[in-house]
Amino acid sequence: MISISDDIITRTVSRVLVPFIQIYALYVIMHGHHSPGGGFQGGVILGASFILYLITHGLEDAKERMSELKAGLLSSFGLLIYSGIGLLCIIKGSNYLDYGGLSTLLNVIPAQARSLGILGIEIGVGIAVMAVMFSVFFDISTGGILPEDEEDLEVNNR
Amino acid sequence: MNIFLLFGMGLFALVFLCLYRAVFGPGVLNRIAAISAIGTKTLVILLLMGFIYNRVEMFVDISMVYALLNFIGTITAAKYLEMKGEL
Repeated sequence: MISISDDIITRTVSRVLVPFIQIYALYVIMHGHHSPGGGFQGGVILGASFILYLITHGLEDAKERMSELKAGLLSSFGLLIYSGIGLLCIIKGSNYLDYGGLSTLLNVIPAQARSLGILGIEIGVGIAVMAVMFSVFFDISTGGILPEDEEDLEVNNR
Repeated sequence: MNIFLLFGMGLFALVFLCLYRAVFGPGVLNRIAAISAIGTKTLVILLLMGFIYNRVEMFVDISMVYALLNFIGTITAAKYLEMKGEL
């Protein structure tokens, strides 16, 4: 199990750095049309910030910010945004993920509807990738066994 | 010759010196430090490539992500060694 770091330098630097990493991840997601990046890359950076917090502050603190339950819910929620926007396009009478069909719903011209649609898709992908990245690291670092599970196992074995 | 290209080639040669330390270096700590140094040199090479192609604003984004993941990777390797009790 990952415990809190003894070194004050590591803890302080990571605590100062984590909000800036998350701001940068949001910039990569929102600015994906004009610069390298997009939903997946921004999601990876967002997940890396949580992984940095987990490494330096230990499992107990990190579980209050982002638990395995929250990661599972968020990954499903991101996929729901992605597929929901795609299905909304089908309902409006165009192909799957053809955002031009959303123009009547959003009350804008089709070109603007495409820009907004792809932004929504990228937000959904970013949330899903962030949650899955954190979940993979969480499962590998704990070996799938949490401390309270170990106590339950000991009780059952008696 | 473009001065950015010249500096980039010089850093490219220096990467191989670090790679020698990463492959043959005695102990794990030398290897971690060498990998971290290679990451830093790659970051500068990326920025120089941005100057060569006249698109610095794109390559700054990529190099910032590279620096960030390099930092997190080094911290993770150090934490792994601390947990294994090999230090």
